[in-house]
Amino acid sequence: MPGHPEMSQVSSPLEEPIPSRAECLLVCLSPNPLSERLLHAGRRLAESQAARWFALYVETPAHDRLSPAEQERVSQLLRQAAQLGAQAVRLPGLRIGDEILAFARENQVTKIVVGKPYQRRWRRFLGASLVDHLVWHCGPIDVYVITGDEAQVSSIPPAVPRHRRLLWNYLIALGGLSLCTILAVVLFPYLALTNLVMLYLLTLVVMASTLDRGPSILAAVLSVPIFTFFFVPTYYSFRIENPEYTLTMLVMLVVSLLISGLTARIRHQARVARQQERQTAALYEMSQKLTARSGLEELLARAVAQISRTFEGKTAVLLPDSNGVLTLKAGDAIKDFDVTEKIVAGWVFRHGHLAGAGTGTLPKVKGVYLPLRASERILGVLRLETIPPERFLESESLRLLEAIANQLALAMERVELFEQAQATRLQMEAERMRSTLLSSVSHDLRTPLTVIAGCASSLLEGETKMDYGTKKELIQHIYDEARRLDRLVHNLLDMTRLQSGQIKLNQEWHVLEEVVGCALMALEPQLRDHPITLQFPPDLPLVNIDAMLLERVFINLLENAVKYTPRDSPVSITAHLKPDHILVEVADRGPGLAPGEEHKVFEKFYQSASRRGQGAGLGLAICQSIVEAHGGRIWAANREGGGAVFRFTLPLGIETLNLEEPLPEIQAVLPTETQTPGPRS
Amino acid sequence: MPPRLLLIEDDPKIRRFLRASLTTQGYELLEAETGKEGLAQAAAQAPDLVLLDLGLPDMEGMEVIRKLREWCATPIIILTARGQERDKVAHLDAGADDYLTKPFGVAELLARIRVALRRAAPLEEGKPNPIFTLGALKVDFERRLVFRGQEEVRLTPMEYKLLTVLIKHQGKVVTHRQLLKEVWGPAYIDQNHYLRIFVLNLRRKLEDDPTRPLYIITEPGVGYRLREE
Repeated sequence: MPGHPEMSQVSSPLEEPIPSRAECLLVCLSPNPLSERLLHAGRRLAESQAARWFALYVETPAHDRLSPAEQERVSQLLRQAAQLGAQAVRLPGLRIGDEILAFARENQVTKIVVGKPYQRRWRRFLGASLVDHLVWHCGPIDVYVITGDEAQVSSIPPAVPRHRRLLWNYLIALGGLSLCTILAVVLFPYLALTNLVMLYLLTLVVMASTLDRGPSILAAVLSVPIFTFFFVPTYYSFRIENPEYTLTMLVMLVVSLLISGLTARIRHQARVARQQERQTAALYEMSQKLTARSGLEELLARAVAQISRTFEGKTAVLLPDSNGVLTLKAGDAIKDFDVTEKIVAGWVFRHGHLAGAGTGTLPKVKGVYLPLRASERILGVLRLETIPPERFLESESLRLLEAIANQLALAMERVELFEQAQATRLQMEAERMRSTLLSSVSHDLRTPLTVIAGCASSLLEGETKMDYGTKKELIQHIYDEARRLDRLVHNLLDMTRLQSGQIKLNQEWHVLEEVVGCALMALEPQLRDHPITLQFPPDLPLVNIDAMLLERVFINLLENAVKYTPRDSPVSITAHLKPDHILVEVADRGPGLAPGEEHKVFEKFYQSASRRGQGAGLGLAICQSIVEAHGGRIWAANREGGGAVFRFTLPLGIETLNLEEPLPEIQAVLPTETQTPGPRS
Repeated sequence: MPPRLLLIEDDPKIRRFLRASLTTQGYELLEAETGKEGLAQAAAQAPDLVLLDLGLPDMEGMEVIRKLREWCATPIIILTARGQERDKVAHLDAGADDYLTKPFGVAELLARIRVALRRAAPLEEGKPNPIFTLGALKVDFERRLVFRGQEEVRLTPMEYKLLTVLIKHQGKVVTHRQLLKEVWGPAYIDQNHYLRIFVLNLRRKLEDDPTRPLYIITEPGVGYRLREE
């Protein structure tokens, strides 16, 4: 229901499909003990007519004046309503009657159930009772009035501290009034009467905004006779000579009463707003804590810490273990976790209702237990033990805790689903990797092995018949293929190590040309048939790299270029100096990449369809891992005029060493070094 | 008398192919399967050079090198797997003279052996050769002049010093530390990047194509080597 967010929190677990639009019941609750009977009556009525029903409590400013026990009773009633199948709603408002009717119309309620008014008699004379109000304004809605045994209607005596506070308030009101009067007496010779009235009004406004309603009304009522007595002619009597002053006094009374009423209203609204703010803040903080992607352990630890802080208690999360027994998964160890506590925890887990200390269900334990209800099942139980245990949670806090428990359960479910998905993905990946690795490696290992075995056996067989040139050629083949095998094995090892995160970068400041030179030397035999052109700007700074790994990048890129391009086609290596990185290009004039292949070539075991079987498909994946480990990126494209180009970047750190930089400390050593002897000392 | 080589290697296949190639090249080959056996042979037979595999079953290669170096200066060439550059450097710094990465070609191995043996040989009588030549490169030590073909190349004093150190160790790998120490002094042994800049400049002056150098060869992760003839 829009506009009533609290509803879903309280009642969503018990929400049932709406049977028909025809009948809809609304039970109006009050702190009165009669309300429990109302609830049962409401349920019977709703069940007999298969109607959906609401249980509504309108929270007026008067709610603040209820004793804690009464406030708790309201919360219990709402929870009980939810358990009986109603949608329990708590609505902040000012006038009970109007709120009830507005809610009823909004939700197409057909019947309203109220209790027979429990009102002090004098009030009945002053205004219409709630029932009267509803009956007059309900329109087409039926109103059922349930009566109760008058004897049962016993108001719970207000708690002592509240009493004392009220007494203080009255004293302050009287004291304030006296002070004001003294001040007025002092100022009387200097001020006009109207301004003295202002002084009183000011005092009343201040008191109305700080004191309870009763004391401020008392002050307002008392101020009139006091003022009349002291300042209105005839002085020192309650008689008013000039009837004009009667009006003044009347206005003063009305204004002060209005102000105290308004102030009470504002304070109520402020309280509601504060409470909502607190709840929003707590929920927001909780959701913040829970969104960070992390494992279940961490999630629970964070949630437990957060709940313990918010509610000032000891929090524990109990989850069923493999045998279905609830065990502590996170939070503080529970002292005296005895049979009764376990039974309550188990009951909450099975039934999905909260129970325990401070609630209407199974209250004889130390902790309050809430179900952790995910979308499909109950994941576990949240336990909160307040410190000290006798301090029960207020109804507001309990509702907040319920909301947080729901949020936690959903987060737990999300983690569970994520972990499941992750595991499945990993498994699939591993499966795929294993099969591709097996097929490509077996192929790749077999090709050079076949050549080696073939050449060697030819040599063995035809030793006498073969001429020298053929023999030499075969031997060369054996040698080249063995080298190729070595590189393949090396790539496989590198990949495994890069994958498992074992490789630590051994970064040093290097001359890029030197690294390229090493790669060229390692590939000397393969590069015989390809002219290589190199272009390095002379002012290229040193780069902070792991030279062995970067050499591998060049080897793989060059090998790739050579493998996929026709003989004698040129390969070029170019470096460009950019403001914050070095861009390196390895370009060939081969057939280029098929459309859409630009990204795929970097995938593990990817092999171009047209060139299948020429490699394990690991080279470029390794290049990518290495370049990314250096903080750069690598990508492929087709060249204008044909061929493929592989580009990668190497970021230049903030501190770069420049080749042109003079090296004074080294130069300074020179004079003593000039007497260099010959080569052999 | 042919030079006597001691091969400490546990794999019989590798021993077999090395025996085949080395004995045909006129070397006398002693073989040991374990580090202990190797040390015993080295003491008993006084080989001219030791080929040491680093993956021995009974001892760390490092330990063998240390024990050998306690009493003899016989050149040691280590045989290592790829991707262990730090190990190589550590072994070289511990006293090994050179290294070969498996799988290696026999030509490479023979070149290393030749260099090591030549360097271990007693110095020729008389004055050292005042002129050094390598390809088109010519260094006149007396006049401190460097030529590339007919053209004189002007080197800074440090570049010249660097070149002479490389010439001194010609054919043998020189680690970064070693070069920095010999050229700049012990205070600079960690300044690898200075060395790289000087090598780059030297190559630009001496090589036809500094990226594909003919004279000053990079030993990735280990150091530099001046090519042999």
